[in-house]
Amino acid sequence: MTGTHVGGATLWSLLANNAAQRTGEQALLLKRRGIWRSWDWKGWHDEASAIAAAMTARGLSAGTHVAFLGENKPRLFTAIAATHCIGGVAVPLYPDASAAELGEQLRQVEASMVFAENQEQVDKVLEVLPDCPSVKTVVFDDERGMRHYQQSDLASYDTLLEQGRNNASGAAPIGGDAPAFVFYTSRTGEVAKAAVYSHAAVIAQTQRAATAQGLGPSDRTLAYLPPGWSCQMMMSYAQAIGSGLSIWCPESSDTLLEDMREAAPTTLLVTPRVLDAIMSQVTTRMEESGGIGLSLFRRLRSEAEREGAAAKASSGPGMMTEMMLNRPLRDTLGMSQLRMAFCAGDMLDPAMLLSFRKLGINLKQLYGTTETGYLLAMQADGEVQPDTVGRAVAGIELKVTDSGELAARADGFMEGYLGDEAATAAARDADGWLLTGDVGEIGSDGSVRLIDRTDSIGRLSDGTLFAPRGVESRITTSPYVREAVTFGDGQDGVCALIDIDTLSVGRWADSQEIAYSGHADLASQNAVYGLIAEWVAEVNKNLAADPTHSNLQVRRFVLLPQELSVEDGMLSRLGKLRRAAIAEHYAPVVRALFNGAPDVALERAIDESGLHTHDDAHPARLQIKNAAVVGDIKNRSAA
Amino acid sequence: MDLYEVLFFLEVLVGGLLAGVMYSLVALGFVLIYKASSVFNFAQGAMVFFAVLSFVGFMELGLNFWVALPVTVALMILVGMATERFVLRPLVNQSDDTLLMATIGLAFVLEGLAQMAWGVEVRRLDLGIPDVPLTWLADLTGIFVSALDITAGVVAGVLVVGLAILFSKTKAGLGLRAVADSHAAAQSIGIPLKHIWMMVWATAGIVALVAGMLWGARSGVQFALIGIALKALPVMIIGGFTSVPGVIVAGLIVGASEKLAEVYIGPYFGGGIEGWAPYMLAVVFLMFRPEGLFGERHIRRV
Amino acid sequence: MNVISETHFSERAFPIAGPVLELENISLRFGGVHALTDISFNVLEHEVRAIIGPNGAGKSSMLNVIGGLYTPQEGRIRFDSELLSGMTPGRAAKLGIGRTFQNIALFKRMTVLENIMAGRKLFNHATFLEVALQLPRARREEIEDREKAEEIIETLEIQHIRKTQVSRLPYGLQKRVELGRALAAEPKILLLDEPMAGMNVEEKQDMCRFIIDVNDHYGTTIVLIEHDMGVVMDISDRVVVLDYGKKIGDGTPDDVRSNQNVIDAYLGVAH
Repeated sequence: MTGTHVGGATLWSLLANNAAQRTGEQALLLKRRGIWRSWDWKGWHDEASAIAAAMTARGLSAGTHVAFLGENKPRLFTAIAATHCIGGVAVPLYPDASAAELGEQLRQVEASMVFAENQEQVDKVLEVLPDCPSVKTVVFDDERGMRHYQQSDLASYDTLLEQGRNNASGAAPIGGDAPAFVFYTSRTGEVAKAAVYSHAAVIAQTQRAATAQGLGPSDRTLAYLPPGWSCQMMMSYAQAIGSGLSIWCPESSDTLLEDMREAAPTTLLVTPRVLDAIMSQVTTRMEESGGIGLSLFRRLRSEAEREGAAAKASSGPGMMTEMMLNRPLRDTLGMSQLRMAFCAGDMLDPAMLLSFRKLGINLKQLYGTTETGYLLAMQADGEVQPDTVGRAVAGIELKVTDSGELAARADGFMEGYLGDEAATAAARDADGWLLTGDVGEIGSDGSVRLIDRTDSIGRLSDGTLFAPRGVESRITTSPYVREAVTFGDGQDGVCALIDIDTLSVGRWADSQEIAYSGHADLASQNAVYGLIAEWVAEVNKNLAADPTHSNLQVRRFVLLPQELSVEDGMLSRLGKLRRAAIAEHYAPVVRALFNGAPDVALERAIDESGLHTHDDAHPARLQIKNAAVVGDIKNRSAA
Repeated sequence: MDLYEVLFFLEVLVGGLLAGVMYSLVALGFVLIYKASSVFNFAQGAMVFFAVLSFVGFMELGLNFWVALPVTVALMILVGMATERFVLRPLVNQSDDTLLMATIGLAFVLEGLAQMAWGVEVRRLDLGIPDVPLTWLADLTGIFVSALDITAGVVAGVLVVGLAILFSKTKAGLGLRAVADSHAAAQSIGIPLKHIWMMVWATAGIVALVAGMLWGARSGVQFALIGIALKALPVMIIGGFTSVPGVIVAGLIVGASEKLAEVYIGPYFGGGIEGWAPYMLAVVFLMFRPEGLFGERHIRRV
Repeated sequence: MNVISETHFSERAFPIAGPVLELENISLRFGGVHALTDISFNVLEHEVRAIIGPNGAGKSSMLNVIGGLYTPQEGRIRFDSELLSGMTPGRAAKLGIGRTFQNIALFKRMTVLENIMAGRKLFNHATFLEVALQLPRARREEIEDREKAEEIIETLEIQHIRKTQVSRLPYGLQKRVELGRALAAEPKILLLDEPMAGMNVEEKQDMCRFIIDVNDHYGTTIVLIEHDMGVVMDISDRVVVLDYGKKIGDGTPDDVRSNQNVIDAYLGVAH
C-alpha cells in the first residue's frame, strides 16, 4: 500500500481495501488437524465485520479497549480487526501473563472485553474478573473444556460470529489519529508501561518497514512469538494489512519447526533465544549424523566464531558448503525461501549472527523499542557489520545524547504512555527526540553500536566501563551455556553466574559416561565445572585480545543449580535477564563470588523452590571456580 | 572397451538381473511370513517344490494349464489354512524359536507329501515359453535374452506391484503390519490374527507356486528346487528381512553380481564363483549394514 | 486435581445412564488357581468406573474377561443387555469395546498417525480393488479416517509427534498414543489397563485430564484399573475393589475409602 490518503486511513480501511482488491489472495493461514486452512482477505474482512457487529451489539464503541490473551491465531487477528472496525483500541497481552499481572493491566486500560483463547486463559481472566469491573464480556475461542462454564459474561467466538452475521453494521467513523493499539513494554527492570499507538503511527511504521525490507503481497511470514510483543504484532497483523503479506500460524509451539518447513516463510521475526535454540538443535543433529556435513558445519562455526570476535564478516560460503550443508539445512529448517530474517528483542552475539549468515540465511539485526517502534535501525544487505545494529532506516533520525543515550525522531512513534502524562513528557525532549533508554554509539558511517541499557551499565573500581551484556553474550555463545549473568559494577573485576544448557551438557555427560540425575546434579559435577571453565578461559582469551576489554575477563564463576526461568521471575517475557531480581535472589552467591570464598551455602529458598530432583545427591554447597585469565590483571579477589 | 565388449557386458548384466528376479520371487515368500510372524520360514523351499510338483502333477492327470493353475492355487490356499490351524494356532504365544522349529517340521511334511503324491522323478515343465534368446531383440540391440527370462521379469513385476498395494494400502495389509508389530494390539482393534496368518501363508504359497513354475520351466521340476531356497538367504540379508522392495532390489543385485563375478572374476579362481559370490556379498552386508538395504534399523531406547 | 473433579461432576454432557455392562457371578480359574471368584458388578453408561486392588488381586484378569481374552468358567456377561458368550478379542472390538494394555501394545514400526488410523480400519468397507484404484469410497474412507485421527491427535495434544515412529517416543507419550488408537475406533466402552503405571506425577495428571476429557467430550464409558488408590479416586464415579480375586468393596470413592475391608486390604492385614 502506497496509501495516498494516509492521514485518514485506519488499519480497518486498509483491510477493507485489501478485501476489495486482493480477491482470492491468502491472508491468514492456520495449521489445524494436520491441514493448512486459509482465509482470503475478503474472508478475513467479512468475519471481522461480523464480530464487530456483535461487539457493537454488546455495547462496545469507538475508544473502548479490548484485551487479547492468546497465541497467534487467525481468530485473534480477526478479533483485533473487528476492534479496529468499531474504532476500539486493541491491547494484545502476553499469553503467559500471570493472573495478577493480567488484572493489573486490564484495570489500567479499563478493558470492556477480553478475548481469551482457551480454557486456561479464561480461568485466568475469571480469577481476576471480580476486581476488573470494566470487563463486561469474556470471549473464548477454543470451546474445549468450556461446557461447564455457566457464567453469563462468557461468550464463545462462534456465538459472536453467529450474532454478528445476522445484523451487520458499518465501520466506526474514526480517523488515522485515533488510537489503535496499546503495547506493554517487556521491561527487564521496572513494571511494564503501556505505550499508545495511533492508526497513523502504525501505518507509518509498516510503510517504513515495507520500504526498508522490500515487503510485498507475495511475502509469507510465520507468526509464533507472543502477540503481546509489539514487534510481533507489527510484523504480523500490521504489516499484513499494510503490505498485503500473508500470516501463517503454527499448530502449536511444539510443532513450530515442522510448520515452518511447510510454510517456508519469506520473511521472519526471530529473537536471540530462538536462534540459540535453533542452533543448538542443529548442532546436536549434525553431531549425531556426523560425516562430511559435520566437518563442514564445524568449520563454518569456527569461522563464524573467529570473524565474530573480529567483528568482520568474510565472503559467503563456497560451492561445497552450499551444496552439502547449507541447502539441505535450510530446507530442514524451513528457511529455503527466506529472503530476510530479522532479529529483534535483544542484541545478538556476532558469532551467532555470522553462523546463520554463513548458512546462507539473510539474518539481520534490528534495533527498536516499544516506544519508538521496532524498526529504528537495521543492518543493510551485503554490508552486515556483526557488532552493530546497522544504520537508521530511511525516515528515522538517530542521535546520541550528551549522557550517551540514543534518541530518535520520526513519525510513527507512540503517542505516549497510557494514563501517565509525567512519563510521557519525560520520554521526549523539547525538540521531539524520544529517548530509547539504550546507551550506544553512532559510527562515522552512521552504524549504531549498542552497549547496554542505561540502567545496567556500570564501572569497575578502576573506572573501566562495564556493560554486562557484552561479556555475557560472549559466554553464551557456547552451546553448553544457556544464560550468563555478570557482575562487576564497583568491583575489582567481573564474576559470572552461569546457567548451563541441560540438554547439551547432558548429552556431553552421556558421551563422557558421567551419570547424573537432573539439572542440579549436572551443574554440581566437577567434570561439568571443568568443561565450562575451559570455555570461560577461551572467552577470557578473546577479551584479553582487546586492551579495553582485558580488565573485563571473568575471574570467578558459579554454575547455577536451577535454570533461570520466566516463571521464577528471573527472565523477562522475551527471555532477557531481569538483573535486579537475579541479583537479589542470588545475593549470597554474588557476595561469595567477590569475597573469594571457595563455595557458598545454598539458601534454603533456592534449594526448595524448584530443583528438579528431591534427592540428597546434590551438595548443599555451591562451589565457586576461578577462571584462567590472560595477562597481568589485578586478581585480588581470586587470589 | 569396444562395442562388442560393451554388448557382452550388458548381456551378462541383463541375464543376471533377470535371474535375480527369480531369487527375488523366492525371497518374497520368506519376507511375507517373516513380516507377519517374525519367523524364518524353513518350509519356503519345500513350498516351492510342493507347489510346482502339484501343478505338474495336475497337468499330468490331464488338466490343461488354465485349469491346473487355479486348482494348484486353491491347493496352496488350503495348505496356508492348514498351516494356520495345525501349526500356528496351537503355538500362539510360544517363542519364535518354537515357531522356527515348527517350520522345519512343516518343510519335511510338505516334501514328503509331495513325493508321496507325485513320485520322485524329475519332470519337465513346459509353459510354452521357449528358453532361447529372442531373435528380434538380438537383432535390434545385439543382446541375447531369453523369452522365459523376460516373462519371469514381467510376472515378478506384476506380483510385486500387486503385493505392494495389498500390503501398503488395504485393510489386510495393515492387518499384516499390525500383527507383525504386536499381536495384542492388533487383536484389540479387531484384527483377526488367524485370518491374517491364513492369508499370509496362502499368499506365500502362491508366490512359491509362481517362483516354482518359473524355475521349473528352466531347470526341470525336481527335488533340487528346494536348494534354490538357500539362494534366498543372501538375498534377504542384503535386502532386509522385512522389506518387500528390499528383497526385490537385493535379488537383482545378487543375480547381476553373481553372473558378472562368474564371467569377469571367475576365470582367476577357476570358475564356480557363482555359487558362493552372493554369500560373500551377504557377509559384507552383515558387517557394514546388518539391517540390509531397506530393513529397519533396530532402535533401542536406553 | 480438585479443580478438574469439581467441574467434572458439575454438569455432564452425557449424564450417567443405565447399566451398559453387567457381570454376574464371574469365576475364572487357571488350572487350580482361582483368579476370580464369584464377582458381580455393573458399569453404567457414560461413567468412569475404576477397578482397584493390590497387586495380584485379579484386576487384569477381570479386564481380560471383559475384553474377551479370557473365558470365565462360570458367570455371565451382558453388554447392552445382550448376553455374551464365547467372547473373543475380535468380537469385543466389533461390539465397541476398546482397550489399552499395561505393557503398551502399539505398532512400534508405524508412526503415531498410522497407529491411530489403524484403530479405525475395522470400519472400512472399501475392497482391495477399490483401494488399488482409489475409487470414491476408498478415498472417502481415507479422508474420514484422517479427520477422525486428527481430531484425536488434537484432543490428546500430540500434534508434534504425529509423524514420529512410535518406538522413538518416551513411555508417557506412548501411553497417550495407545489411548488415541483405542479412541479411534469410537468405542462404547474403553478398558484402560493401568493407564498411569510407571508415570511421573505430571504425566499422571496429564493422563487423568485426558481420561476426563474423553469421557466428557465423547461420553465414552471408561473402565480402568489401577493398583494405587491415589489419582484414580479423583476421577472415578464408582470404584470396585478386588483382593485375592474377590470383590471386597464397591461404591463411590468416598464409600470405598471408608470401607474397613478395603483399608485392611491396602494396609496388608492378614486374612
